[in-house]
Amino acid sequence: MKWFEYGDEKISEREIMIAIPSMVIGVGILSLPRGVAAATTGSDGWITVLVSGIVIIFLTWMTAKLASSFPNKSFLSYSTLIVTKPIAVILTFLFAVTSLMITAYEVREISDIAKQYLFDRTPVAVIALSFLLVVVYAVSGSRAGIFRLNMMFLPIILFITLSVFVFNLGWFKLSNLMPFFQTSFTGYAKGISTGITSYMGFGIILFYVSLVEKPEKTPKYAVMGMCIPVVAYILLFVTCIGVFGHSVASNLLFPTIELAKEVDIPGGFFERFESVFFVIWIMAIFNTTVMAFDVAVLALSSIFKNRAKMTLMLFLTPLVYAVAMYPEDLTEVDTFGKIIGYITAFVTISITVLLTVIAKLRRVRQVD
Amino acid sequence: MVRGSFFKRNKDKKDKKQEKTNNEQENFSIEIGKDLEKNLDNIRKMLDKPNDLIIREFTIRHSDHKGALVFIDGLVDKDVINNRILLRLQRVNERRDLPSSDSKLFDIIYREIISVSDIQRSKTLDDVSNAILYGGTAFYLDGIDDVLIMDTKGWESRSIEEPMTEPVIRGPREGFVENLRTNMVLIRRHIQDPNLRFKTHQIGRRSKRNLVVTYIDGITHPDLLKEINRRLKTIDMDDAPESGYIEQWIEDSFLSPFPQFLNTERPDRVAFSLLEGKVAILLDGTPFVLIAPISIGNALQSPEDYYERWTIGTLLRSLRYLAAFIAIFAPALYIALVSFHQGMIPSKLAFSIAATRDGVPFPAFVEAFLMGVTMELLREAGARLPKTIGQTIGIVGGLVIGDAAVQAGVVSPIMVIVVALTAIASFSLPAYSVAISFRLIRFGFMFAAAIFGLYGIIIAYIMVNIHIVNLKSIGVPYSAPFAPSFFSDWKDLVLRAPIQVLTKRPTYLKTTDPESANKGGQKT
Repeated sequence: MKWFEYGDEKISEREIMIAIPSMVIGVGILSLPRGVAAATTGSDGWITVLVSGIVIIFLTWMTAKLASSFPNKSFLSYSTLIVTKPIAVILTFLFAVTSLMITAYEVREISDIAKQYLFDRTPVAVIALSFLLVVVYAVSGSRAGIFRLNMMFLPIILFITLSVFVFNLGWFKLSNLMPFFQTSFTGYAKGISTGITSYMGFGIILFYVSLVEKPEKTPKYAVMGMCIPVVAYILLFVTCIGVFGHSVASNLLFPTIELAKEVDIPGGFFERFESVFFVIWIMAIFNTTVMAFDVAVLALSSIFKNRAKMTLMLFLTPLVYAVAMYPEDLTEVDTFGKIIGYITAFVTISITVLLTVIAKLRRVRQVD
Repeated sequence: MVRGSFFKRNKDKKDKKQEKTNNEQENFSIEIGKDLEKNLDNIRKMLDKPNDLIIREFTIRHSDHKGALVFIDGLVDKDVINNRILLRLQRVNERRDLPSSDSKLFDIIYREIISVSDIQRSKTLDDVSNAILYGGTAFYLDGIDDVLIMDTKGWESRSIEEPMTEPVIRGPREGFVENLRTNMVLIRRHIQDPNLRFKTHQIGRRSKRNLVVTYIDGITHPDLLKEINRRLKTIDMDDAPESGYIEQWIEDSFLSPFPQFLNTERPDRVAFSLLEGKVAILLDGTPFVLIAPISIGNALQSPEDYYERWTIGTLLRSLRYLAAFIAIFAPALYIALVSFHQGMIPSKLAFSIAATRDGVPFPAFVEAFLMGVTMELLREAGARLPKTIGQTIGIVGGLVIGDAAVQAGVVSPIMVIVVALTAIASFSLPAYSVAISFRLIRFGFMFAAAIFGLYGIIIAYIMVNIHIVNLKSIGVPYSAPFAPSFFSDWKDLVLRAPIQVLTKRPTYLKTTDPESANKGGQKT
């Protein structure tokens, strides 16, 4: 043995459990209460968040099951077994493209929010570039390093979420939650579709399970991991409605950050908690962006086998930056986000379902 | 490295002048011959007749066999040479007749006459020269191409004192010294385990220095040892005067600001680390022992945490995490808040800061940078000066400059508070090498805060984290046991759980014997 190996390119199923919430929790939650509240009445949104959460948990389980039935095989190689090689390459490429678009969207969104809440004079392009370069730095390191970063940051992120919830309890008005169960069926449907797009990101399992050493238990851990964002989303949504009331929540641009604004630290150490909240939230968005970019690199390097990771990144980074800078203003960014959400949801869900069904029909098994 | 390369290298030199002097030196041969005179001449020529080289020629008692002792004055214990070697070889009224054959006589001298415990035969001049330069004595017998090398070390060395760099309130008061043997004894006295191992390496092309790798067999992961030994074998330099040379040669990343080895003067700390499954590296000539592999959590631990009761240990640990936070972030946060996010400061405080900063001509970053550099200068000056004057620097620097700078309106009083707090925090970290790297990255954070405010700080923080998760110490992730997370290790990280609960050795070291204590204690 040349080094005291720690299996740098191998991860445990527990790290998958951490990676899923790290991937899912990103910019989506910052605006989620607005979208859901706009579609529903009263506090009914929590039902849509819960239902879409359950749907997503089921899909996560299905994805993990599919990926873990081919242990130590990359997405490209097991999808080649299920559908043929050309289709597998197309699917991998689709994933790479959506992942790159997610990367670009997150980079753009974080720069916009940073400009809104932290600076007023620094240009968005500079903020985006600095963030993207840090993302590139992370991706160029070892893949296990990315999972360790998730582990380092997720506790801090959950802690700040919890503190936003706890510090807002004082402003919570039960009357704001009224009325119950008044939403129309189309309202629910619309809310659920918004909810589902905001839970996107579990597609990374398709790629990362190949790194897990013993993937038998992965579905269980993946489901446990997915439960974390579902609980966090419901908590934040209900708090948003309870504090702001339905009509305000559905009109705020980033209700979750505004929620942090309400926080008043006892003792008056510092004011404007939302800046602290957002600064911590940068870590969450960072994790999402890094994993999206890494999956794109992983997918593309499985197609272009003899290209070095660095060459790929050198090519992809300017592309991501250009896409991120393409939307002109906040409305366009919002539309861009929505489109990407729907595309990602469509691609991830249809590919997972398609592959699972075909695998079942053709009885494709791991060949050893 | 190849034995005797010392001679080869001299031959390679092309320079004519050099060659002339070398020619004189090269009149000796590396082989040890049967002729005593020639052998002694070889040694003399090799070392170029220094006046501390002592060659004592004599005749063995009751015979006409000639012999000689060779040693270097000052490195040896003369008592041992006189009473145990010379006297026994020369004294006429000893009872036994000696054989006349050369080889038999040599054998008897080796087995019976010389009463030195550490003695070995040798055939090469390289062995002889290495031995006598390390306090050995060589015995030549005329007609024999063997040499006896005896260990007669006895030079002046410092006695065991309390460690200067890591004082503790409670705990053993002894510290390592410059002598390798003494240091090994100190460790042996802490761990009386037959599985305690000392493996010796010789380091240096020119100066041959002993380096000892210490570990406990049956706890330390064998691959870890293999890796450390492999790296130690790659060392190829003239001399390693301090363990810092070793550390820098075998560390995983020389670009990292973080130390990948811990150095300590405390035997109890080494003993504790060995029992955890780590490896210690001792080098002759320095009291600083290296411990590896380490992780970021070790950087903030002190042996004292375990000597005090667990509540106090936990309190001290958390205090140190706070200190690390202040030492790294305080000036950067000040810069970010004052120049970007004034709104985050509570309004009353904001007004008073604004009032005190009224006459200050510099932006917050320049102010903080000036004070930071001054602080580093003071610290450096205090460390270089003799102890008695060192305190004066503290008074002059701290009181006079600080007060005068505020009075003159160069810096604001708040800045002085921030800088002082930062300095105190970085002094309270237990490991000096870690404290230095924190000082280094603090300036990085200050730059980031000056450019991007809070966003810059968090970006810099993320970058430091990326670096840490990719960093390794002898192949072990530096970020363990945070990530990869070993939850069972967490009770000895920020917390210091009660001693009865700490039954496991650190899991991230993959020790071959995971249990270190039994929860229920011994059955009585």
